[in-house]
Amino acid sequence: MLKKNVVENTLLAALGTGADFAEIYMEETKRNTLSVVNGKVESAQSGLDYGVGIRLFFGNKAIYGFTNDTSEKNLIRIAREAAAAARGERVYPLQGWRKMNFSCRNSIRIMPDEVEKRKKAEKLFLASQAAKNYSPLITQTRANCLDVVQNVFIANSEGLWAEEERVRSRFNVEAIASSATEKQSGHLGPGGSVGFELYEQIDVEERAREAARIAVTMLGAKSCPAGRMPVVIDNGFGGVIFHEACGHSLEATAVARNASVFCGKMGQQIASSVVTAIDDGTIPNGWGSSAMDDEGTPTQRNVLIENGILRSYLVDKLNGRRMDAKATGSSRRESYRFAPTSRMTNTFIDNGKSTPTEIMGNTEFGLYAKQMGGGSVDPATGSFNFAVLEGYMIRDGKIAEPVRGATLIGKGMEVLQKIDMVGNNLARAQGMCGSISGSIPTDVGQPMIRVKEITVGGRG
Amino acid sequence: MEKKAFQKQIINEALKQGFTDCEVFYLGGESFEILLMEGEVSNYENSSEAGVSFRGTYEGRTGYAFSERLEEESIGFLIEAAKENALLMSDEEREDLFGGEKYPEFHGYYPELEQVCVEKRIQLAKRMEEAALNGAENIASLDYCVLGIGKREVAITNSLGLDISYTKNFASGYVSAIARNGEETKKGSAFWKGRDWEDFNPEETGRKAARRGAALLGAGTVDSGTYTAVLDGKAMTSLLASFSGIFFAENVQKGFSLLKDRLGEKIAASCVTLRDDALLVGGYASVPFDSEGASGKNKAVIENGCLKTLLYNRKSAKKDGVASTGNGFKAGLTAPVKTACTNFYIQKDEKTLEELFGQMGNGLYITDFMGLHAGTNAVSGDFSLSAEGFLVENGSVTRPVEQITVSGNFYSLLLDISAVGEDLYFAASGKGSPSVLTEKIAVAGK
Repeated sequence: MLKKNVVENTLLAALGTGADFAEIYMEETKRNTLSVVNGKVESAQSGLDYGVGIRLFFGNKAIYGFTNDTSEKNLIRIAREAAAAARGERVYPLQGWRKMNFSCRNSIRIMPDEVEKRKKAEKLFLASQAAKNYSPLITQTRANCLDVVQNVFIANSEGLWAEEERVRSRFNVEAIASSATEKQSGHLGPGGSVGFELYEQIDVEERAREAARIAVTMLGAKSCPAGRMPVVIDNGFGGVIFHEACGHSLEATAVARNASVFCGKMGQQIASSVVTAIDDGTIPNGWGSSAMDDEGTPTQRNVLIENGILRSYLVDKLNGRRMDAKATGSSRRESYRFAPTSRMTNTFIDNGKSTPTEIMGNTEFGLYAKQMGGGSVDPATGSFNFAVLEGYMIRDGKIAEPVRGATLIGKGMEVLQKIDMVGNNLARAQGMCGSISGSIPTDVGQPMIRVKEITVGGRG
Repeated sequence: MEKKAFQKQIINEALKQGFTDCEVFYLGGESFEILLMEGEVSNYENSSEAGVSFRGTYEGRTGYAFSERLEEESIGFLIEAAKENALLMSDEEREDLFGGEKYPEFHGYYPELEQVCVEKRIQLAKRMEEAALNGAENIASLDYCVLGIGKREVAITNSLGLDISYTKNFASGYVSAIARNGEETKKGSAFWKGRDWEDFNPEETGRKAARRGAALLGAGTVDSGTYTAVLDGKAMTSLLASFSGIFFAENVQKGFSLLKDRLGEKIAASCVTLRDDALLVGGYASVPFDSEGASGKNKAVIENGCLKTLLYNRKSAKKDGVASTGNGFKAGLTAPVKTACTNFYIQKDEKTLEELFGQMGNGLYITDFMGLHAGTNAVSGDFSLSAEGFLVENGSVTRPVEQITVSGNFYSLLLDISAVGEDLYFAASGKGSPSVLTEKIAVAGK
């Protein structure tokens, strides 16, 4: 994307300030989004993100700048301006180029930017109709699709020269059910590092009916009772519990600043022994997968927790320097507007030995969180908060009445220790994760799990 | 390419290619930020960015496209993509471009803010860091200590002759301190945002963060039940921000708000007046015009409890047969024009915090809500959020409180407010509220 001499001159200008590491990240990203509300196209947008980020390290100090003016003159200016904040003692050399050949791990059959938008709109009309037809209680529907073709180029002073094309597609459907006084919604959003073939892999009408089913079920639900109780969390998006409550605290972003509850716990038992958790950026066509991370390190499968024992953090180059640890292929960013840092890719609790029937049968009373909503966590304190989108009470080992408005609150460390059963039905689901390097696609996942006791907020 | 020439060239080309009218929205920005860690600059960022968003009418329908590549090569892409997008839209959703009106005088750009040298800025950040570390006992470390300057430029040019622009800038400092006692960890934060470095007192900001964090140490839960509560300005602002969409006419028209046909009715307690003021002097979200070129206005959304107006962009205003309230904003280049607030705040009253506590007697003083993006239902108004704060007994704070979930409904909350404080707080977004006393919130604790 950039000429070799422009890259070399920019990196040399950066090294000239005394930086011991310099990096250029460039991207050109085509985006298409289409949104249908109540069966009508509400918005159709296309665009081009285009820009360069330049990063310099002076020991453990990082300097970052970005611009959309990719002229050589401007790039060199940005590289030199860094000297206002830092200056190294000697000039490090630029290493010879090592071209990385990132063969496309996620094979794409139908490039989404070559598909007519009308065809995409047809899928959304089908979904809207299916949701609406599910029940007369469905009063509103929203369906949207997005596709992204991101071309990334990374070069650094260690000689790395790497390029990758990343393609992602996602479909979202939301249905709202209304009574005279209430509204409840259900939504699903499957996607992956795939092209338009996504729509051959999923049945949009079936997903739409499922979203409608959740909304209608929750409309009839009573408020969830509050208190401490056992909670069974279903597979798939239920994995957001691990993502929020533990995943963020395992990111070097928090660990290197000594702001994580998991600092200094490597090799120690931090979870119940039935818990094994993995972050894997290499899963073929995974929503959070890529061949390399956003600083050019190949992605890998990282075992974070093995039978309850902490085995690895998620580490990027800069925090790796601060922690004296090796990068784990986990450095990610939303775009050139963000300096990359350690983030999750596809993160999940691995399969255990229990069957869902056993887990349910062993729970006399509690909450069954069938669909989780989003959540957030403070990595410094480990406190988290999740919404339960679709919940039921469990009575005598059986799923009983639906309940709405439940939230799960607690601390990551405690919950990890309190997971006492892990199922064998691992599934992943897609989400967007927001943190300091922007909003990035990540998969969450888990089999059905049971937490012995957790604080449930509700109004019943 | 030079901005103005580029905007004009796109418009000329689009008109040639069959667009009957069109507009180019330019958004540019510069930002500077330093992040301190243990007395050292650990991250430094200096950036500039620019992009254009194109919209225009093609075969009677509105199409959009954007590009961050401000070079001649992009023009063909913008026009072709906007055409394809236009053909998907129905003609009812067509957006009328606007030729302009009279605009208020706007003073938002302070060049002297950017003239303070980098060394001086680093010094200010270090003073804030030190004050936070020493501001209270038990401060173990800092979570963040950031100082920045941001500049933003908006320019709209269209084929109806509109040609307007403004530039605004702000400096800001933010610090978040971690207080620790044994295994217990708490956080407190504070920020400053302004137009004059002379107004920035880094010691005060640092100390405030430290004290807030330390005050929460020793927190425990409370019994589950129904409580009376004072929500402090920051906590109330975060709720108000989460539910601001219920006041947008476009949500009301589409059924995503329960305020349909409620205009003129009492939807809040009489002590509640809610304003959206684009012209507030020094306001963080002040602008002379919105993204559609509609002039900024100061309006009461709720006045003494009565719903006075919804917030309109040009499209939703046309549907209701009223004028735009100047709330048609793009949330960035990629977004179409939607509705957004400007300085959106509950007007202050006369009660001090102590008087609110006195009136409450026994109850909770909530200082922070967490998990707002997950624990709120923007359609029904339901919320269920983990919260922290303090227990108030006989009108005085007795101990900090954590691990509680506060549940309620925003529509009911507005009606349940029984008193409003004098301590108006503004978040960096321009949304704000004083402390409010509210009856009946459901709390899950132990």
